[in-house]
Amino acid sequence: MQAALPAKAAARPHLPFGEWGLRAAAITYLIVMIAIPVIVINIEGLRGGLELFITDITRPAALSALWLSVWTAAVMAVVNTIMGTLTAYVLVNYRFPGKRLLDSIIDLPFAIPTLVTGVMLVLLYGPQTLVGGFLDQQLGIRVLFAPPGIILALLFLGYPFVIRAVQPVLEGLDLNQQEAAFTLGASNWLTFRRVVLPAIFPAMITGGLLGFARALGEFGSIVIVSGNIPMRSQTAAVYIFGQVEGGNMGAASSVSVILLLVSLVVTLGVDYVYRRKSYA
Amino acid sequence: MRDKPVRTFWPWLLIGAVLLYAGLLLIAPIAAVIGGAFEDGIEPVLQAIAAPDALVALRLTFVLAISASVINAVLGIIVAWVLVRHRFPGKWFFNALVDLPFVVSPVIVGYVMIVLFGRTGWLQNFPIQLAFSLPGMLVVTVFVSLPFVIREVMPVLASLTQEQEEAAYTLGASFRTTFFRIVFPAIRHGIIYGVVLTLARALGEFGAVAVIGGGVQGVTETATIYIYRSLHDRNDVGAYSMAITLGLVSVGILVVMNWLRRDSHEKGTQHVHPTE
Amino acid sequence: MSILLNNVSKNYGTQNIVRDFSLEIESGELFVLLGPSGSGKSTLLRMIAGLTPLDTGEIYLNERDVTALPPQKRGIGFVFQNYSLFQHMTAAQNIAFGLEIQKVPKPERDARVNELLGLIGMADLGNRMPSQLSGGQQQRVAVARALAQRPEVLLLDEPFGALDVKIRAQLRQNLREIQQQLNVTAILVTHDQDEAFELADRIGVIDGGKLLEVGSPYQLYRKPQHRFTATFLGSVNLLAAQRNGTTIHLGDKQLPAPPQTDHLAGKSVEMMLRPESVEIALAPDNLNGYFLGSGVVESIAFAGALERATIRLPDWEQPVQALLNPDKARELNIRPGDRVYVGVRDFHLLPLN
Repeated sequence: MQAALPAKAAARPHLPFGEWGLRAAAITYLIVMIAIPVIVINIEGLRGGLELFITDITRPAALSALWLSVWTAAVMAVVNTIMGTLTAYVLVNYRFPGKRLLDSIIDLPFAIPTLVTGVMLVLLYGPQTLVGGFLDQQLGIRVLFAPPGIILALLFLGYPFVIRAVQPVLEGLDLNQQEAAFTLGASNWLTFRRVVLPAIFPAMITGGLLGFARALGEFGSIVIVSGNIPMRSQTAAVYIFGQVEGGNMGAASSVSVILLLVSLVVTLGVDYVYRRKSYA
Repeated sequence: MRDKPVRTFWPWLLIGAVLLYAGLLLIAPIAAVIGGAFEDGIEPVLQAIAAPDALVALRLTFVLAISASVINAVLGIIVAWVLVRHRFPGKWFFNALVDLPFVVSPVIVGYVMIVLFGRTGWLQNFPIQLAFSLPGMLVVTVFVSLPFVIREVMPVLASLTQEQEEAAYTLGASFRTTFFRIVFPAIRHGIIYGVVLTLARALGEFGAVAVIGGGVQGVTETATIYIYRSLHDRNDVGAYSMAITLGLVSVGILVVMNWLRRDSHEKGTQHVHPTE
Repeated sequence: MSILLNNVSKNYGTQNIVRDFSLEIESGELFVLLGPSGSGKSTLLRMIAGLTPLDTGEIYLNERDVTALPPQKRGIGFVFQNYSLFQHMTAAQNIAFGLEIQKVPKPERDARVNELLGLIGMADLGNRMPSQLSGGQQQRVAVARALAQRPEVLLLDEPFGALDVKIRAQLRQNLREIQQQLNVTAILVTHDQDEAFELADRIGVIDGGKLLEVGSPYQLYRKPQHRFTATFLGSVNLLAAQRNGTTIHLGDKQLPAPPQTDHLAGKSVEMMLRPESVEIALAPDNLNGYFLGSGVVESIAFAGALERATIRLPDWEQPVQALLNPDKARELNIRPGDRVYVGVRDFHLLPLN
């Protein structure tokens, strides 16, 4: 057979331009959509100089809002890391009535608009409702327009994060490792603690951190549920909104920078944990 | 050990605790909103939904959501491809960048747009009017729903080894042919699931569009902004009705999500949730 | 110390995985459960370990009825096919795990771990993570881990299946040495007949969930009771024949019946000829054994230490397989198409049903 090899005998026949074009498109997209906004905020926030920045941040309302955002998100992250892990564990390992329903509605917070979540919570815990009224009058717990309401909203939208992060890891776990532990005398609990937990720990952390970061910036549900009372139930996101509406760009920018910074650190932390976890 | 029926005591305690938590957290609010909206019967609800500005708001929401989904689908596939198949310095940075829209507060997003494109903004003379306008709302909607397709497609692409593509090349297929006949069918599931998630996120967007859109009734008022305004105007029925409508759409999306997830599970293609 | 299985069975839905399995294993024995994939051997092993519940029957370990006991309480060591080491612990920590559960104090624990690392020939590798070890090394750690608590029984589920041929051979050796040194009763499950021959004191042949027969490797190879055993263990020639009185009628030939086959008198039988007992000669007088017929050589295959020849004899459905040692092969110098005379030195009888 004498024919000369055709030009397309090369293993990767697509033009270098095509490759570069793709890469350029992807990077441009990411930079324009994400990197630039981040940079813009930072520049805008520090435009008036460091002093002004500090002043804006240390305003009582701003500090209070930031602190509220952080501690409510943290509480939510801790609770949901525990409950989320338990939920994932139960879903992967057992059969029980209601399992399919549970598995189906776990993604609800991902699907539902946050505003609708807020409305739902108002209808459930508002002072005129059964539940809300009971809590308020009998136990003195105000849910709406107070931190408990915020935490409830955050719990709702953060629930799936840890579950869906841990579930695939649990499913992929080598069953034999746990069986090996049994044959060596380990009880169910010990096996969970020494064999399963170390394997799912990275996923728990990434899920929890992601949920935390998400909760920090939550707006739609909080704006309905918290009443936006400055110094009492106003989170950072709502504070920023208020400042923007009121035209106080400086204050809005400053607090945005802080919020963004925290989110960024958390995201990088997630990426770091994710890249480090290498327990096959 | 998987899926085993529970015969001892302790697991039931665990299951009970989980069901209780999930029930209170997820189901109770749903029940409440259904109860609250239909408090005075079905009629008011239907009327409220049929109100002209409600319908306009709904239409706007859908237009924005679908447009954003299309944009994010196409560009998402490209980004996913580049991030999985290419190697270049700083790739890890861009990879991490993709997760940012998950965590950035929507209010900040809207605010950035104002800073850039507002009347006194940096790019105030940008040819397209982006502040307080539809295009601006589209941009922010694209931003907040950006990661989903990418994050769903990436793991599927990664598990599809290059060998299949290389086999196609050795058989003479061009890059385009290979992509559409070999790669695309394999990642199709991931794309669809990602688009569904994108749609859900875009439909529910509030903070960003509220800031950048200005919420002008009939023009830049989405369904979510409509709810917000109705609550302020003490139009509870209007708010609840719209909430139910959006809620129903979300449940519909949820059903599709579940069906897709189960389907892919059976087929063995791995779904990785956006949190990964 | 011994293991007793009594009428053990297991079903999955309507499928019988293990049927009416009864077996007794001697203390200190290395017993190999040999069977093809899907024969139920792994399930049986897991039932002995307590990892899979059984449907009927009892299991006794050392005269203790362990049927209702969880794996934690049975005093067994288990080695999985894919090693199943704890990925987040070092080799030493893996081995120490069982000792920690038994609350063995640290000095003793460390001593025992070192002892075991020495036993498996990995004295300096205790601090490595599983991902840093080769497949063979991981498997050795898995064995050490299972032996740390000095279990009464060691159970191995196709432990060498995932390894290279050369490594397998080496590990087999090691395992045999360790088992004998420690005198621990062991059950090894495999589908590899060579492995079974090399390791077993006795072999139990299992197919379709049933225990077909038990015997030493020699017994099962030379005098199997079941056709399945005959064909599963190495190559074999099977010929239908009739046993009358004290002779075997094979077509128009008669051969004396082998001793101890009176129970098959008057019945249809199958003659089992191992290729190495088949004789080939260029003239009928050169045959030492019983004459079977003359035929044409179909193929000759070089197999390193031997040559395999297949000869087609008239009236015989299947070609006869024969094994020639190098000297014989050189002497005969046969090629496909040559006419040769076939005889047999000794053979075994199987009932034909």
